[in-house]
This record gives sequence, C-alpha cells and structure tokens, in this order.
Amino acid sequence: MRKSKKDSVNRRDFLRAAAAGTAALVVHPAVAKAASPEQPRATGAPPLLKAQPDAPAGAEVVTVDRPGSDFMVDVLKTLNFEYLCANPGNSFRSLHESLINYGGNRTPEFITCCHEESSVAMGHGYAKIEGKPLLVCVHGTVGLQHASMAIYDAFCDRVPVYIVLGNFGDAAERFGQVDWTHSAQDPAAMIRDYVKWDDRPVSLQGFSESAVRAYKIATTPPMMPVALVADHELQEYAISDGANLSVPKLTMTSPPVGDSGAVAEIARLLVAAENPVLVTDRVARTPAGLAGLIELAETLQAPVVDRNGRMNFPTRHPLNHTERGGAAIANADVIAGLELTDFWSTVNSVGGQLNPVVRPSTKPGTKLVSITANELYMKSNYQDFQRYAAVDIAIAADAEATLPSLIEAVKRQITDDRKRTFQDRGAKLATAHQQAMQAQRETAASGWDATPISTARMSSEIWAQIKDEDWSLVSNCQFVSRWPLRLWDFNKHYHYIGGEGGYGVGYGLPAAVGAALANRKHGRLTVNIQNDGDLMFAPGVLWTAAHHRIPLLIVMHNNRAYHQELMQVQMMADRHNRGITNASIGSVLVDPPIDYSKLAQGMGVHAEGPISDPDDLAPAIRRAIAIVKGGDPALIDVLTQPR
Amino acid sequence: MRNLTVLASAFALVLACPLVNAQTPAAKSADTAAASAANGKRAFTSVGCVACHGAQGQGTAMGIQIAPPPFELPALITYVRQPTGKMPPFAPGAVSDQQLADIYAFLKSVAPPPSASETLTGNADNGKKLFAAYGCYECHGRQGAGASTGPRIGPPAITLAAVLRYVRAPTGQMPPYTTKVVSDQDLADIYTYLKSLPPPPPASSIPLLNQ
Ligand code: HEC
Ligand code: HEC
Repeated sequence: MRKSKKDSVNRRDFLRAAAAGTAALVVHPAVAKAASPEQPRATGAPPLLKAQPDAPAGAEVVTVDRPGSDFMVDVLKTLNFEYLCANPGNSFRSLHESLINYGGNRTPEFITCCHEESSVAMGHGYAKIEGKPLLVCVHGTVGLQHASMAIYDAFCDRVPVYIVLGNFGDAAERFGQVDWTHSAQDPAAMIRDYVKWDDRPVSLQGFSESAVRAYKIATTPPMMPVALVADHELQEYAISDGANLSVPKLTMTSPPVGDSGAVAEIARLLVAAENPVLVTDRVARTPAGLAGLIELAETLQAPVVDRNGRMNFPTRHPLNHTERGGAAIANADVIAGLELTDFWSTVNSVGGQLNPVVRPSTKPGTKLVSITANELYMKSNYQDFQRYAAVDIAIAADAEATLPSLIEAVKRQITDDRKRTFQDRGAKLATAHQQAMQAQRETAASGWDATPISTARMSSEIWAQIKDEDWSLVSNCQFVSRWPLRLWDFNKHYHYIGGEGGYGVGYGLPAAVGAALANRKHGRLTVNIQNDGDLMFAPGVLWTAAHHRIPLLIVMHNNRAYHQELMQVQMMADRHNRGITNASIGSVLVDPPIDYSKLAQGMGVHAEGPISDPDDLAPAIRRAIAIVKGGDPALIDVLTQPR
Repeated sequence: MRNLTVLASAFALVLACPLVNAQTPAAKSADTAAASAANGKRAFTSVGCVACHGAQGQGTAMGIQIAPPPFELPALITYVRQPTGKMPPFAPGAVSDQQLADIYAFLKSVAPPPSASETLTGNADNGKKLFAAYGCYECHGRQGAGASTGPRIGPPAITLAAVLRYVRAPTGQMPPYTTKVVSDQDLADIYTYLKSLPPPPPASSIPLLNQ
C-alpha cells in the first residue's frame, strides 16, 4: 500500500529503529503537524510506541501498544453504532480485537454472524426499525463476495448499511498465500455499482475523515450502503508517536426538500383535482413520515394507494385504498407518487403471454406528479431505477421532508367550496374502503379449514395472538398473498418495514433478526413470517438469534418449494406444450422434507411443528410467544398453501 | 423472486375488475332505437373495443371475453362509461348509447364456441389427482381456494364449457393448457373435483375474521 507518510509508522523504519535498540529514535514525520491546525484535538489515549518491557535489549519488538485499529475504534465510536454484525476474518483481525478489548465490546457490541450475507441483511432490517445504520465488518475479498447480495438488496431498498472491509493493500506486507487471495487492488470495485460511496483511505487521518463522511453520505436520503476499506497495515501498525490525529465532527445533512414553487404547483393540482390519488412506497422513513402522510391525505380527503415499501399509512384508515388500488388509479385525474420506486408500473400494466403487452392504467389526461429522492442519485449498471415514467411535475427531494411544506401549500389553497367537496368525497371513500375491507374478509374465508393451512388463516391466527401486544411485523407479506396487510390493523411506523428491495432471496430471516435486535430494547414483540426457501439460504442466523438472545417469533410459511420459480416453470411447460407434470423438478424442497423445527432446535432455538391442522396453530403460537416474551427466539413450522 | 412482478402484481390487477363489482349508478337505460347487430359489429371495430376484446369479443391479452355477454345492456353502458378496472372509460361523445345498444346486439349474436362439454362426465377422484399433477394448485391453491396468484375456482362459479374455453385460451396471465397436454376429459374430471368442494363460509361466521 501507499504508506501514510503522515501518521503511521513505516514498519521497516520501525523494525530498524527497534533493532537499533532505541524505539525512541523512531522519527515522527513532521508533516503530521500540517494535518489540520484548526483541529488540534487528538482522540483517545496519547499515541504510544514502546518496546515490550521484558524484551532483552537488542531483540525485535513484537508487541504493539497502540495499534492503528484503536484509533479506528475511536473514530467508529463517535458514530455511535449500537452493534457490529460480522463473521470474523483475519483481514480485520486487529480492528476486531480493538473493538472487543480497547473498545470494551460496547457501542458497538459484536454480534456473531455465520455468513456475511446475514451480517448485512441484519443491518438492513435493523436500520429500517431504528432509522440508523449499524456497523458491518467483512473479510476482504471473500467476505465481501458473500455480502454482496445483501448489499444489493439494501441498495435497492434505499437503506443505509455501514460496511468496513479488511484488505492487505501492500503486496509486500502480505504474509502468505491466504493474504494474497483475500486481497484486492481495489476491493470495493465489485460492489461500487450498488453502494452510494466507498473509499480506501491510506492513512489513519484519512480513515477518520472518510469514516465520518461515509456515515453522512449513507444516512442522507436517498440512503444507501457505503463501504470503507480498513487496510491491514493501518489497522495493525502502531500509531506513530506524536501523530496528530483527530475525528471531525459529524453534522447530519438535512434531507433535500422540494423547491417551493414546484411544491405549490403540486398543491394546486391536488386541491383542484376531482379524484386525486396518493401513491406511496418508501415515504415514511420515521414516524413523522407516517403522521405527515395522514395529515396530507386527510386534508385533501384523498385516497392513499400504498405499495408498502415502508409503513406509510394505516391499513384501516378510511382513506387507505390499497385494496382497491386499480380502481382508484383508473379513476384518478391527478396521481401523486411519493417515493414511488416504480411510477411507470403504477400508471401502466404489462399483460400478455409471449410478448409484454402494455396498456395504460389511467384515464387519458391524468396528471402525474412525483416527489422522490431517487432522482438525486442513480447508478448506470443495475436497472433498479425502473422504466422511465413520463410525469408532469418531478421534484427531486425527500418526500417525508417535503410533506410539511406540501401540507402547508395545500392548506393555503383550499377554499370553503373545496372543503365541502372534499368532505363529500371523503364520505364516499370511507364507504368504498369498508367495502374493500369486507371483500378481503370474504376472500380470506375461502379455504379457511384447509390443510395445508391457508395463508389467510395463518395470518389471522397470528393476528389473534399479537393484536393486543406492542407488535412489529418485519417480513415481506407478498409471498403470503399480502394477508397481514389486508387483514391486520397496521398503524405504527414499526408495524411494517417492507421487503427485500432487490427481491434477493435470503434476506428474510437475517433482516428479521436484525429488526428484532433493534426492537429488543423497545420491548416490542417482533414477528417474522418466514419463507422456507429463503431460510435455507443462510439458516445460521438462527444461531445468532439464540446466542445473542434476540427475541423473535418466527412462523414458517412452509410451502416446500421455491414456489415463484415453480409457477414460472409451470408456465413454460404449458407454453411449450410438454411435460406439464414435471415442473417441480428443480423447484421443490420435498424429498426428504426439511424439518425446520429440528433445524432450529439444533441451533438452540425453541421450535415446534410441522403443523398442518389449522386448529393446532393458536396454542402453538401462544407457547412460542411465551418464549419470545422471555427474551428468546422461537420458531413454528407451519405447512401452508402455496401462497 | 427473480421474476416476481409477472406473477404477483400483474395477477393482482387481473382480479380487481369485473362487472359484478361495478358500483356506479345504473345507467339511464338507453332510449335507443332498435339495435342492429350489423351496426354494432362495425362500431365495435371503429370505436376501438376490438383492440382489447378481439373481433368476436372473445378476449385478448388486453381485455376479457365479453361475447356472448353474461350481462344486460344497462350494465354494459354503466361499465363502459365508468369502468372500475383497467379498461379506459368511453364518454357518450366517443361512443353513443345507441352505438352501445348495437354493440350489445352484436355481442349477443356471437354464438358460443362449440363444446364437447355436454357429453362429458367427470371423475372427481381422478380430477383431484390431476389438479395437483398438472400444477393447477400452484396458482389456485391445493383445493382451488385461490390466492394472490390465481382466483378461487373451487367450487367453480362457471360452467364446464366456460372452463374448457378459458383453460385453452386464457386472456390474462394464466398459462394456456392445450389439448395436446390436457384432454377435455381430464378437464371434466378436474371440474367435477372442483364442483365437489364446499363453498367458502361467509366471513361473518368466522370470529377470527372479525377482529
Ligand atoms: C384498452 C383496452 C380496452 C378497450 C379499448 C375496451 N375494453 Fe372493455 N374491458 C377491458 C378490460 C381489461 C376489461 C376487464 C375489466 C377491466 O379491467 O376494466 C374490460 C371489461 C369490459 C366489460 C365488462 C365485462 C365483464 O364481464 O365484467 C365490458 C362490458 C366491456 N369491457 C365493454 C367494452 C366496450 C363496449 C368497449 C368499446 C366501447 C371496450 N370494452 C373497450 C379492456 C378494454
Ligand atoms: C401459473 C399460474 C396458473 C396455473 C398453473 C393455472 N392457473 Fe388458472 N388462472 C390463473 C390466473 C392468474 C387466472 C385469472 C385470469 C388470468 O389471469 O388468466 C386463472 C383463471 C382460471 C380460470 C377462470 C376462472 C374464472 O372464474 O374466470 C379457470 C377455470 C382456471 N384458471 C383453471 C385452471 C386449471 C384447471 C388449471 C390447471 C390445469 C389452472 N387454472 C392452472 C393462473 C393459473
């Protein structure tokens, strides 16, 4: 590596000096002074570099009192990470040791993970509950490749994860074959397309500034993962005596707010519209987003169609029209997309069998307006930015932060006349909402007593047991026909956290454990409806939950298949006019059937099942909740209908 | 997972629309002159219904089958003026009530496709096996109770003839099962199995659905 001339001691100089028997002779680069005169504060203990006390004179000094990684810990502590999720790896062994001994294994506390994908996905789930990132350390080339899928999910989901990865930058400093294979010239290159920022600082002071900058970048909307390389030499060598190291102050960037002219224009359209519709996806980053959206919808008496990327809007609010979204959108004259990831698909649909057939979902002339921070930052390679939506007004800003000024602008423009119109509209919308809810219940009754258990029945059985608790559902509902969202009363920001972002499988269990970790100190009952195929990607996080006593209720949606793919292959067999009974080859998990309760028990998690009689569900859920309330994870394996 | 939207979001839309759900005020029944199927056939094309519903109203990827119509003329007018699903609305300026009456007459005149269904008798036990073996359960549920991926078809609300028509040439996202892979007799067995299933209970009878 390019060795820091500023503040780390050149190892060869050090050895030479030590060999001369006078560690004190080590030359401290004078340039250290030039670093930043206005910030004289050096953090932590005074840098020391001493010979080991019991070494005979003239022997090589092989201990280090104050490794660079201690300073890294000083830096990371200023960022106030509650937890560090990591699978250990020797490219960050010095940092690991500094964190647990010098740093006291507090803020952050080390959470032992069994796969880097789990570490990152835990950070993903945690951040959506807690509103801030945790720290993830990954091991050089190999750990990062394991982590990459989960990083992509977090990127697509606009969630900050703070990643520090070890690397042996300087080829001359590698000890052997393993160090070589675990090193890269440009380690973050492979994830650069799906992190917001990365850096490979070459000095401790550079690390300090980049670390603070990385935090700021990750947590400014649009939020995304960031990666910082902690070079092996920077970690392991002693901080030079007199190095003038400092940690810059972290000032959080206020999120980008919409231009007032454009906000007023959107308000004008919304107030004038006969049938405005608010379509939301990742609006509510915090409880304020939820409250703001309620106020906007109520002020306008406009229906909200929620794509459920976050907990944006209460499910039982009379203005929640998600379950009749198609009709609401078809009838709209103004559609406002708020942090809507895929506006195009909101106003168009793709049908057809062989070739995609596109048709508009709106009336001609419907005005489309958009507020999203996504416009502020896009990458070229991965196509998560979705099809281009031809909207009439586009504001590049964070929707949650823009809501207060939008609400103000709307209120300013409402006349008494409009207010009366809004009231009438609201009354009709309330009736339509009730009808849509009733339709959900009628549909849920279908297959009520079936075996395998219907996902509607399973969702209702869970709801019956948790509805009086302070609960938090932390799994994507899409794979259980969205039943919880259709039946339960969601109204707090932690009641739901959306899904994977990139639909990368393997997110479900670790993200739930991460979310449960965040919920633990708030005493919430965290619930995860867990897909079987997803669990099999990296089940080791069950052990992490048991080991760290992370309370989490896991109810398996065990349809014994990679069911999405099973349907897709069935479609191909039908289309190709052959082998329609063979579609399960390659897509089902049946022979032998996987015993998830044994699997969980083997990792120290309370578990029961498989349960196939719906009448057995309630008592099993009650028993599991008792375990969870005692502070531990519990799993119930439920044999379910496909969806 | 990888191709989720095809089966998830698209399916949800398919289920969201048909006439039975239309809650718009009943169209003032057309004080129209006697309807002409021939004029209706022309209007069906010139106004543009054909683009989505097909030349014989048989349905395409863009629109469902509407001939022969299982609904009355006023319902047709109400729907066309204020559709509740994917269909764009047509104002009286775009298609008059008279033209819609003609279109209705035309749709009525379309003969249902010939079907072997009247002569078939099915075997429910075999139908149950085939329902699983042919993968119908994957989208419709093990007992045809429905899910986000396919509507409830057990017990079926439509006739065997309609099932035969639909399964051979679905108009939405369901993959086609041709006679090459599934015989009419197989489908009659599946139909008989689906018919043997109990209808769902009303939600009001289930306490857990009223919490
Ligand atoms: C852009 C495509 C499109 C066009 C053009 C179109 N339709 Fe439709 N129509 C649909 C779709 C799709 C449906 C299914 C319900 C929905 O999504 O609205 C439908 C449903 C209907 C229904 C309700 C049928 C039922 O059983 O529920 C009627 C009636 C109908 N169309 C008549 C017409 C007539 C008459 C015209 C021409 C004036 C027309 N449609 C033009 C796409 C179209
Ligand atoms: C890959 C998913 C899938 C598979 C497999 C599938 N269906 Fe469907 N089916 C659907 C969907 C979705 C619909 C709703 C209309 C549409 O989009 O085509 C549907 C509609 C139907 C309808 C019309 C229902 C109505 O009330 O109009 C029938 C009948 C039907 N399916 C029967 C079958 C049978 C029988 C099989 C097996 C031989 C089968 N389906 C396999 C997805 C599927």
